[in-house]
Amino acid sequence: MRRVYLDNSATTPVDPRVVEAMLPFLTEKFGNASSVHFYGQEARAAVDHARREVASLINARPNECVFLSGGTEANNLAMRGLCEAHEQHGRHIITSAIEHSSVRGICEALEKRGWEVTRLPVYDDGIVRVEDVRAAMRPDTVLVTIMLANNEIGTIQPIAETAALIHEERARGHKHTWLHTDAVQAAGRMTVDVETLGCDLLSLSAHKLYAPKGVGALFVRRSVRLTAQNVGGHQERERRAGTESVPFIVAFGKAAALARAELAERVEHMRRLRDRFEVGVAATVSDIVFNGRRDARLPHLSNISFRYIEGEGLLINLDMQGVAVSTGSACSSGSLEPSPVIRALGRTDELARGSIRFSLGKDTTDADIDYTLEVLPRAVENLRRLSPLYQKALAEQACAPV
Amino acid sequence: MSYSATLQDHLAHPRNAGELAEANAVAELTNPVCGDRLRLMLRIVNGRIAAARFLAYGCPPTIACGSALAEMLEGMTTAEAAALTRQTLVRALDGLPARKNHAAALAIETLQAALLQL
Repeated sequence: MRRVYLDNSATTPVDPRVVEAMLPFLTEKFGNASSVHFYGQEARAAVDHARREVASLINARPNECVFLSGGTEANNLAMRGLCEAHEQHGRHIITSAIEHSSVRGICEALEKRGWEVTRLPVYDDGIVRVEDVRAAMRPDTVLVTIMLANNEIGTIQPIAETAALIHEERARGHKHTWLHTDAVQAAGRMTVDVETLGCDLLSLSAHKLYAPKGVGALFVRRSVRLTAQNVGGHQERERRAGTESVPFIVAFGKAAALARAELAERVEHMRRLRDRFEVGVAATVSDIVFNGRRDARLPHLSNISFRYIEGEGLLINLDMQGVAVSTGSACSSGSLEPSPVIRALGRTDELARGSIRFSLGKDTTDADIDYTLEVLPRAVENLRRLSPLYQKALAEQACAPV
Repeated sequence: MSYSATLQDHLAHPRNAGELAEANAVAELTNPVCGDRLRLMLRIVNGRIAAARFLAYGCPPTIACGSALAEMLEGMTTAEAAALTRQTLVRALDGLPARKNHAAALAIETLQAALLQL
């Protein structure tokens, strides 16, 4: 059976060039980067090199990048580490209604410990308004955390504008507010430059960048103080104890270098295929809603709500024909509530349940899109034929006066 | 979450799907928690189910339960149909993930509501 992977926002395959770079560090170059002898120094040099590559990807200094296990840990170190270090200045957090579940979970954990959290709306286009950030700012606001780009609908948030607002506040003497952004989905799919963005903390994950799972990084701007969440070792300049995963860090470094070198080409390729896909779907499937502002989205992602059907049924139907996607339906996520992201756009439960995320990758081909456009309309039609909601809508249409 | 091959087959090739013009026992129930919806239409002649059709909106187990139920109902007496349980349906699908038992519950409740109309 033909297989088409359109779930690159969940994870990406490891690039063969990344595997090649990493392999020696699983075999002959096995040293502990903290050891003083040859083996250790060889590993240390590789980690340092990878750190420079990752720093270059986001225009940071190498010593501003902390390696850790991935996006979720980066978000934990950024948010909990910052809040613990600065709670004497206040206990208020501003975030958005559409953050990744890790950021949402950390906010909830901090609320249980007495922090107050303001969750900003994203309106029907999936974008936070800077005026809302301004209105939510309080003297005791310590952390503003807003993702750079959303993982379900791909909308790009106004991080540079939010940073400008925070810098204004600092100039007015309100020096204890910091800006964190989760750039896990954005990196490798748009330019991520910490100087342009002006953020203090930025989370990255390697496995969205064609490197293995289990490694990520947190950018911590010089002079920003965090309380380490992993203690008991001197690694990562006391910010994250634990022996460095040298092979994975090397892989991340290589993947970052490739992402930087190939960014423009990848973006152009994915955008062209994504746009062609959306035109194709709109031409062949009725009763659909595109989610997220079309002109402020990541180039690889398309999120569509299919009326009258439930996402998981469509996901399984597509999977049986070899096409891998993901859905905001509650069934797949293991919760009873459908996607909070789609709900935050003001969509009905039915539209949230019927939402499907198609996320392309650098290796997606025209033939992949052709095949998906061939099987998708049929799968939607098959499920709609079974749907009492669809039958009801058809009957109402038939009865409506012409 | 993994679904059995039988369940996936019901999803890909639903049995007895669609409207039933001459139905004389019809019920449509919704699971208020997750919004799943099942419509069951029966044509009963002399105490025997001559035809059964279903429509379903919801996750794959809900669709598969509707399909498996409508398929097994045809030819049954109403007494046999009234004796069907969730377990019969779960077995017919070669199992359901534990969290999805509500789909079998919705199907049996819809069947009972339809039979009550007689």
